[in-house]
Amino acid sequence: MSEEIKVDATMDLKGLKCPLPIVRVSKKVKDEMQVGQVLVAETTDPGAHADFPAWAKTSGNEIVKVEKGDVSKFYIKKLK
Amino acid sequence: MNREKIGTITDLMKSRLTKPMQYYLDLCTRCGLCYDSCHVYYGIPKREYTPVGRAETLRRIFRKYFRPSGRFFPYWGEARELDDRAMEEVREAAFSCTGCRRCMVNCPFGIDTGYLMTMAKLMLIGNETAPEELVILADSAVEKGKSIGEFKEGFKSVVGDLEKIVQEKLGRSSPDGLIPMDNGGASVLYAGLAGAHSIVNPAVIFNAAGESWSLSFFEAVNFGAFLGDPEKMQFIANRIVKEAIQLGVKELVITECGTAYRIQRHMLGTLPFKVSSIVEVIDRYLREGRIKVKAGAISEPVTYHDPCQLGRNGGVFEEPRRIIGELCTDFREMTPNREHNWCCGGGGGLVALDNEKFRVQSGLVKRDQISATGAKLVVTACENCVSQLDTIKSGYGMDVEVKYLTELVADNLLL
Repeated sequence: MSEEIKVDATMDLKGLKCPLPIVRVSKKVKDEMQVGQVLVAETTDPGAHADFPAWAKTSGNEIVKVEKGDVSKFYIKKLK
Repeated sequence: MNREKIGTITDLMKSRLTKPMQYYLDLCTRCGLCYDSCHVYYGIPKREYTPVGRAETLRRIFRKYFRPSGRFFPYWGEARELDDRAMEEVREAAFSCTGCRRCMVNCPFGIDTGYLMTMAKLMLIGNETAPEELVILADSAVEKGKSIGEFKEGFKSVVGDLEKIVQEKLGRSSPDGLIPMDNGGASVLYAGLAGAHSIVNPAVIFNAAGESWSLSFFEAVNFGAFLGDPEKMQFIANRIVKEAIQLGVKELVITECGTAYRIQRHMLGTLPFKVSSIVEVIDRYLREGRIKVKAGAISEPVTYHDPCQLGRNGGVFEEPRRIIGELCTDFREMTPNREHNWCCGGGGGLVALDNEKFRVQSGLVKRDQISATGAKLVVTACENCVSQLDTIKSGYGMDVEVKYLTELVADNLLL
């Protein structure tokens, strides 16, 4: 049984145009989240499945879980 | 500001001192004709939002470090030393300019303020005060290029989920899939954006035309260019070039993104394949009879916004008009249009920044242009323009709908 992830905040990014999903997530994680907290980003962009992991890698954060669907959910843990 | 930082910034300036750059920096009679060319000045009539105002911010620093008059007689030479205040002004100049180059068209000497602002953006990178949003986006795009193997499967799997939407729109399926990726031997590589609309609508059109195509793993947009970092710009553009060469395609088709089109088509030199905008390709399919649309399907008044990088800076003017002409019975041109069209205010990376109030104000002239046509539907062919037109629409409470050209075509195909 998978461990349940404690979610600290959720962002609705559905329908946002390029490049706002990454911009908004990045700002939220940097300015409003504490290290160790988890943000769930909900998006309808297929490109997010490559863009979010690339952003996490460059920004030093971690995507701990992805729920794929018409609306995909990215669980992003702030690491620094 | 310490000597080391000044040295870094002036070295970066020197790296951009091409002959045209020096010409633009030295030559300006301050005639003021550019004032009325800038959409920002139209909405916010302040000197700093004129093309010459932006250029002078840069010129004063240039004179101080690169011209004897400014070095030895700074007051007479109207020179300015680099300091934090000067760099704040450089940032305001660079990121209030969309690089639309409307001022260049109206300048008697053809001074290219957009080009001048590439130096300003590079200075901001050296000063570590470039907009963080654009740094993040450019770095992520570079990382994606370096580690695409890690992200491929996730992207492929989600794109596969879009198949059913394409099937519904097209009314048929295909054993090989309707959104091919990694399709060696395809004629066309299509570079879209992150959003589903930039994949689904072109997929419907390509399949309707019977095109042999492949969807790129990379987004077409180039955040390195918006940031003003030449190395990142080149790397990001080359991700797609490499993929096209690897697949052996004859043509690279760029989605509705003006900057991506201009960079891939006009700024990479000679490539072993043709580069086209999706707009040019749709027009070609229509003329060759490979696709058909419901003639005159739209009777409400329609206008077209020329994206600056696709139109004035890319040369694509008639293709979108021919496409709209087949679909719409009441097409109304904005005045002025084509190479003289007003910028909407969304280019240059500005839509990524936290500046909505500024963008609404700088979109005033576009509001006026659209309103004067009486159009109920505004069609365009650039993601940034659609975003900005939506911002203008809500900012001024306009009763219009904004649509992508590909969406208009895909929704009105005769299948």
